[in-house]
Amino acid sequence: MSEEFGIKVEEIFDTMEERFRPEGAEGVDASFGYDITGRGKWKLTVKDGKMKIEKTDDLSDCRAISISDPDTFVGINIGKVDGMQAFNSGKFKVDGDLGALGQTAKMFKRFQPPKKEMTTKEIIQDMFGTLLSRFQPKNAEGLDVTIGYDISGEDGGQWMATIKDGTCTLKESIDGTPTVTLEVQADDWVELMLGRVEAMTLLSAGKAAIVGDTQLALKLTEIFGKYQLPGEKAEPEQELIALKKTISVGQHFATGPVMGKFLKGLKDKKILANICPKCGRKQVPPREICAPCRVRCEEWVEVGPKGEIRLLDTVYYASPDPLTGETRETPYGTAWILLDGCEGNDVFSHFIRPDQIDRIVIGRNDRKGSRLRPVWAEKRTGGVFDIKYFEIDE
Amino acid sequence: MEKKRNRNVAIVGIGETKYSSHREDVNQPEMVHEAVQDALKDAGLSINDIDCTVHGNMELFEMIHQPDLWHTLGTGTYGKSAYRLTTGGTTGSTVVCAADNLVASGMYDIVMCIGFEKLQEGHTTGGITNMADPLWFRKLQTGALTGSAGYMMMEEFGEERAKRAAMTYRIIMDKHACLNPNSHRAFGLEWDQLEDLMENSPRLVGELRLIHMCSQSDGACVMILASEERAREITDKPVWIRDHITVHREESLNVFGNDEKHPVKMTHRFAAEQLFERNGITDPVEYFDVFEMYDPSAWWGLDWMREFLLLEGDEHLKLVENKEIMIGGKLPINPSGGVIAANPIGATASVRVAEAAKQIRGNAGPHQIPTPVNHALASGFGGTFWTVLFMLEKELSW
Amino acid sequence: MGRRVAICAVSQIKNEPDIWHQRFQGMLLDCFEPIIEQTGVTFDMEKGIRDVLTCSDDVFDARTISDNGMQDVVGAHYRGEEKMAQDAINGLGYAMACILSGHDDVVLYLAHCKESQTESRRMNTNLGYDPFYCRPVGLDFINACAFQAREYMEKSGITEEHLAEIVVRSRKNAAKNPYARENGKVSKKDVMKSPMLCDPIRELHHYPVTDWAAGMLLCSEERAHEFTDNPVWITGFGNCMDSYFLGDRDLTSNFALKKAAEQAYAMAGIKDPRKEIDLFELNDASAYQLPMWAEGVGLVDEGQGGAWIDAGGMDASNVNLSGGMLNGNPVMLGGLARAVEAVIQLRGEAGKRQAKGVKRALAHGTTGGAGQHHAVVILEKGVQ
Repeated sequence: MSEEFGIKVEEIFDTMEERFRPEGAEGVDASFGYDITGRGKWKLTVKDGKMKIEKTDDLSDCRAISISDPDTFVGINIGKVDGMQAFNSGKFKVDGDLGALGQTAKMFKRFQPPKKEMTTKEIIQDMFGTLLSRFQPKNAEGLDVTIGYDISGEDGGQWMATIKDGTCTLKESIDGTPTVTLEVQADDWVELMLGRVEAMTLLSAGKAAIVGDTQLALKLTEIFGKYQLPGEKAEPEQELIALKKTISVGQHFATGPVMGKFLKGLKDKKILANICPKCGRKQVPPREICAPCRVRCEEWVEVGPKGEIRLLDTVYYASPDPLTGETRETPYGTAWILLDGCEGNDVFSHFIRPDQIDRIVIGRNDRKGSRLRPVWAEKRTGGVFDIKYFEIDE
Repeated sequence: MEKKRNRNVAIVGIGETKYSSHREDVNQPEMVHEAVQDALKDAGLSINDIDCTVHGNMELFEMIHQPDLWHTLGTGTYGKSAYRLTTGGTTGSTVVCAADNLVASGMYDIVMCIGFEKLQEGHTTGGITNMADPLWFRKLQTGALTGSAGYMMMEEFGEERAKRAAMTYRIIMDKHACLNPNSHRAFGLEWDQLEDLMENSPRLVGELRLIHMCSQSDGACVMILASEERAREITDKPVWIRDHITVHREESLNVFGNDEKHPVKMTHRFAAEQLFERNGITDPVEYFDVFEMYDPSAWWGLDWMREFLLLEGDEHLKLVENKEIMIGGKLPINPSGGVIAANPIGATASVRVAEAAKQIRGNAGPHQIPTPVNHALASGFGGTFWTVLFMLEKELSW
Repeated sequence: MGRRVAICAVSQIKNEPDIWHQRFQGMLLDCFEPIIEQTGVTFDMEKGIRDVLTCSDDVFDARTISDNGMQDVVGAHYRGEEKMAQDAINGLGYAMACILSGHDDVVLYLAHCKESQTESRRMNTNLGYDPFYCRPVGLDFINACAFQAREYMEKSGITEEHLAEIVVRSRKNAAKNPYARENGKVSKKDVMKSPMLCDPIRELHHYPVTDWAAGMLLCSEERAHEFTDNPVWITGFGNCMDSYFLGDRDLTSNFALKKAAEQAYAMAGIKDPRKEIDLFELNDASAYQLPMWAEGVGLVDEGQGGAWIDAGGMDASNVNLSGGMLNGNPVMLGGLARAVEAVIQLRGEAGKRQAKGVKRALAHGTTGGAGQHHAVVILEKGVQ
């Protein structure tokens, strides 16, 4: 059984009905599968704002199936494991429609592990177990003292903290006469620690006693940080404000005479390159200068329009347009093409006809690459998409 | 030709924020302030000791014009000399180069360099898309992702070997990241996941898969550089900057050298050749004790090993296959986990220098290389294959 | 210190309202070629340019890594390149550091900016403020100046007449500068009647939208003679940052400018700028800034700006013979324009606007609203 977080996989599924949020399931009519390695398979069916969860091996009609080990599955559900991290590292896989699976997140309230009540004995053990981690050395400068805790009752015990040279040690017995000793009943001690009763009240009622250096006893709340039950936060979290704004400032970009001539050529279904007077290199799209030679390029030549493909990038993940959020359909292919008339690395980059990506053969020195031709747009405006894409020349 | 330095400069203070995907609890000046405070504490200095700051990031990611103006709230630059240099992804190295030049020149004695990025505040892909020419490539490009390195390596070494080597590199980087308390992403990848990740990690472009790619992080990295005289007063562990070189190239992306008859030397190799030759280093793998390389993806990290270390053939693959690049190996690469572990773009290249410096000091943390680190190499990457290469030394022995 | 760095050549295109007919690449190439031609410098890794400096702004270029597209035209292919991302005058200080550090002998510096490209340069400068308070309140570089102008005018007795005089003079001087934006003459009355942009700054008080590019070749003292017979020395540089939030600043104190000037004077060994500096190019984005920056560099006693103008101080001290930024330079390049003018004057190549006996000049640049960051360069004539 998965005990890493003290929670069983089955608990996540058993509580789905009570955690269900119909408003998050609006418009959804599908089944989703959960394949928990070594534990079993579950199917969630959502329809008409209602849900059903069943343990079954038949996930055939699921729109998406998530596959993970029990620890990862539980961890993600209780927020202890970062979902993206798990996905990136292959610990959480998805078979099918990833986007659809994402929808299920909105359908359930977060799983809350049941709160376990701690006993008096457990609290006292935890309180002394965390004493050293709550020690504040800044507030104990110059102190050379011992503090005795004499907690009576069967849930109590004896402890002694020794503070010297800015450090603190703890032992589970009291030796000699500590600088100050606190004597109190176990139940009262717990109430005091949890802030449910004031120290003065206990002292006045004779239910607690301070033996020794009273001044030191008063400093204890500074010397040790406040004790909290595990799972509780001391202060409400600071509210964080985030401002969301899309910033857009219109621009008009100049083409300049070099790019301008090239773009104009596209309108006339011509692909123009310019030539370096020093090294003969052809640049397409053309640049004002040849970078390695550092001389202006003023001679022009028409190249292509057909050419051989020299490199292909098949893109499966499309970056969304920053302003519109649109993405290109994937997979798509970006190609580097050596147009007729060009040599070596003077390649031209553009898109490949999407349905032909699988048939492309990339050219190397020992083999010929697919020969391509541009497909021109009907309406051309002097821009990059005057060429729709390149297709195989057959 | 040996270059004569006007005076020696050392890194005397290093400060970093924890790198993470969302630092929602701080705004930009507050985030930078954390790293500034950290660096001052590390150096045992106060802000009054700083003469000058150098600030850098990629401002279009956060859409702030001149962010250094606003950041004075956190950088403590009030009343001080201030420079701002930005060079895209190499910005983090450039600000360190600039700080080195400023101190070495004698114009300033103590200079603080600041690299930062708060990627979550902007649209990272949008920012990267805007790097391309607005009239042409902006419509065609894929946001700095390409499968070409994978393709070229598979052609040269065979699909199986290349893919396996890239994934081995990736897992090594993750193992290092798991030791680095400051990494943004450390997955705890196991060797037995190698085949599964090779085949099943979602593809981005070609053979470049999600698992290979670097993160997008928020964070700041600040370093304090001092002249030799001041450095010796400030710390007993100064990390000396021996030399650095910046090599850029034109923006056209015909960088992949697909035509064997017209080979293209990568800027990485050019930088390494120039830097090592002028410093009399003939065998970088022997000479350096650590290499913090700016590796935006596992494929590039693997490929660029050959270029930076002036290797040939499959020597770089062998170093990876024999795990020589792991902490404890012959030449540990990215004991910090590298860029795949944390990538606050404006700071990332600074972090490479900072991590290399920490290794020299011997106090990097759990990811400290166990043997003495005397000679360190750090690289920066950005733009269209821009490279910055740094040499750090423990002793003034050259 | 006594160490200095040489400016061997400067080049520029003309300042224009809208260089629609060229891309940045074309503008920079027009600055690149003359420098190579004038100096014969090469890009040899041993003896030539190993590192190039550029200056441009990503927001104004609307391009992430605005130097990325310029690498080829600035000659940075397989060479180092670093971009200054603040007023271009700071590149002179940084280039000085690169050379004095021993890292470089020769540095090429090229800068560009088109204010016309954006639909609103005010929206761009609004982005120079934090998104939580100053931006939503609508602060931009013009209204930040307005706050400062109002306070300064009161402190130093500057009147609308003074502002008008400054503008008229700027246009007159610029008319003698073949590279200045062609704005046409205006009369004092035109200026005083021009529409209010942001009280007290009227349209004609503020510099107009401008596009420009310029370049310089800098090199070590030892090698200057290889590239020019007429070097100009950079003998002093200083820059300084003021507070960000306008409410934290004493807007008329010239705090940052005084410190920047102090540093520059100390480096150049200048004790009395009024006696030792023959020409001043002050970065006046707005008319009130000319006397204000003059006070900041110590040319004028504090609070005496108005009196100084009345006494003809601007002409007497050769201030802004170029027309100043007021006539029109783009926001990132104002300080560089001041330095370029100073160099031209020191070389004796200023034609109709040449001042006599100019041996030492001061050039000044600002970055940020109401001059949050200042830089001062001291330049000296090479050939005596």
